[in-house]
Amino acid sequence: MFADIMKYKELLYFLVHKEVRIRYRNSIFGFLWTLLEPLGLMAIYALVFGEILNKNLVKAYPLFILMGLIPWTFFNNTLRRGTKALSGNVSLIKKVYFPREIFPITILLANLVNFVPAFILVFVIAMFTPGLHLQWYQLIYLPGALLLQCLFTLACTFLVSVLNVYYRDVEFIVNLMLRAWMYLCPIIYPVSLLGASKSDLVREFAWLYFLNPMAVIISMYHGIFYPKEAVTKIPPSMIIFVIILSLLLLVFSWWIFKRLNRRVGEVI
Amino acid sequence: MDAIVVENLTKHFRKAYDKTLKGFFISVAKRESRYEEFVALNNVSFSVKKGESYAIIGKNGAGKSTLFKVLSGIISPDSGEVQMNGKVAPLIELGAGLSRDLTGAENIRLNCAIFGLSKARIRDVYDSIVEFSELEDFIDTPVKFYSSGMKSRLGFAIAIHVDAEIILIDEVLAVGDKDFKKKCYTKMEELRNEGKTLVVVSHSLKPLRRICDRALLLEKGEVKDIGSIDEILDKYESEKPKKKKTKGA
Ligand SMILES: Nc1ncnc2c1ncn2[C@@H]1O[C@H](COP(=O)(O)OP(=O)(O)OP(=O)(O)O)[C@@H](O)[C@H]1O
Ligand SMILES: [Mg+2]
Repeated sequence: MFADIMKYKELLYFLVHKEVRIRYRNSIFGFLWTLLEPLGLMAIYALVFGEILNKNLVKAYPLFILMGLIPWTFFNNTLRRGTKALSGNVSLIKKVYFPREIFPITILLANLVNFVPAFILVFVIAMFTPGLHLQWYQLIYLPGALLLQCLFTLACTFLVSVLNVYYRDVEFIVNLMLRAWMYLCPIIYPVSLLGASKSDLVREFAWLYFLNPMAVIISMYHGIFYPKEAVTKIPPSMIIFVIILSLLLLVFSWWIFKRLNRRVGEVI
Repeated sequence: MDAIVVENLTKHFRKAYDKTLKGFFISVAKRESRYEEFVALNNVSFSVKKGESYAIIGKNGAGKSTLFKVLSGIISPDSGEVQMNGKVAPLIELGAGLSRDLTGAENIRLNCAIFGLSKARIRDVYDSIVEFSELEDFIDTPVKFYSSGMKSRLGFAIAIHVDAEIILIDEVLAVGDKDFKKKCYTKMEELRNEGKTLVVVSHSLKPLRRICDRALLLEKGEVKDIGSIDEILDKYESEKPKKKKTKGA
């Protein structure tokens, strides 16, 4: 599978390059939008939850939001754009053949290119924020979190990209789901809130919360600066579970992709 | 050795149906099958020798483009064997493989990469592609602003420069101007002399006689006849204007 795709690395490079550039073509701020988008969202959440609702749940709340929001944006944008990875490339798919797996992979890599500088920037800001301390030993989670996120995101993208060719409803469903999904991730609140919740319901079902791979992944990012509020609150078995889930999902969606791909050229 | 071997190729399409929930319930209520099958290619067998020029002719909707799509792997056949011995460059219908939002130059690079050319090789052929297409002034314009003739120029120029052994040309020259067509036909003869395999679909029959050796007549997805180009074209032309039933072999 990978050998097949490596043959096309020139093409992959070109497509990723194109994807990154085309998105910000005709926009004044260009590449800066990769930062402006999460910053804007962060400002909204910080204002609504931090100021209006007056729930400064953690130290340096805006930064906390950003630490979770940037990985989330990576996931969110990959999935949104990934839905159209095949259905948005009709002219190519109908006229030439090359492994179509390349389209979703391109979307993932292009978003990764956007994610890394944004994350590094926040990381650096966090380093110099008084009151926050970099947990060196937690850094081992970082490559793991990134890899896990890539695997999980790729699996989801494979699935939605090929399904959307057959049923355009997928696009709407994905957009709606992503909104709900965001609130099920520790972005505007830390996971430590769940165990300490006053609601019995929340405390009882807190373990269900970590069945959501993105909740675990985002907590792993949080752990670097917010150890008490993040990853240490996750049962280790859940991390293993998420790793296995992501791998199984990847195999499954790869298989579905292969199957449905056979008729993509005619139904698209 | 044969460059292309096709054996008993069959392709059914599902005719477009109402995919909405409403359409689904209506068809369930009416108890009709939701997929109306349509035979686009029926038991097609033929082979093209290496270095041969082959024409495929037939009326609109006969299945010529479908056949090309199967040959190039864009759609997969229901049954039958397709064997392509060599690298294939397909030029299917207008705007073959061009991405609308990219400029001409970017499209050249994209297509070269699709056909597996290395970076160095792309740099080598880039200039000759631009030169052949005569699009120097528009090479940095997005392809969506190209005229159809300009698209076909670019498509053709790319296809002949990607080191393919088999070139499938479907109708792309129909919109080219007189000079460009002439240039292309000359180039096609040149390619044939170099030993490349050409398969051409066209409704302008005259040039086919010059370029092609053999021809296949496709009718409603079935092979009606295979033979030397003159023989097939004579038959096809003689039955075309008169709408009599001259369907004797
Ligand atoms: N993706 C598809 N889904 C359903 N039917 C299709 C599809 N593609 C082609 N067809 C049908 O298959 C038949 C053959 O189409 P095709 O494009 O191969 O014709 P053609 O011989 O190339 O015609 P032309 O000379 O006009 O180019 C047509 O009836 C067409 O409607
Ligand atoms: Mg056609």
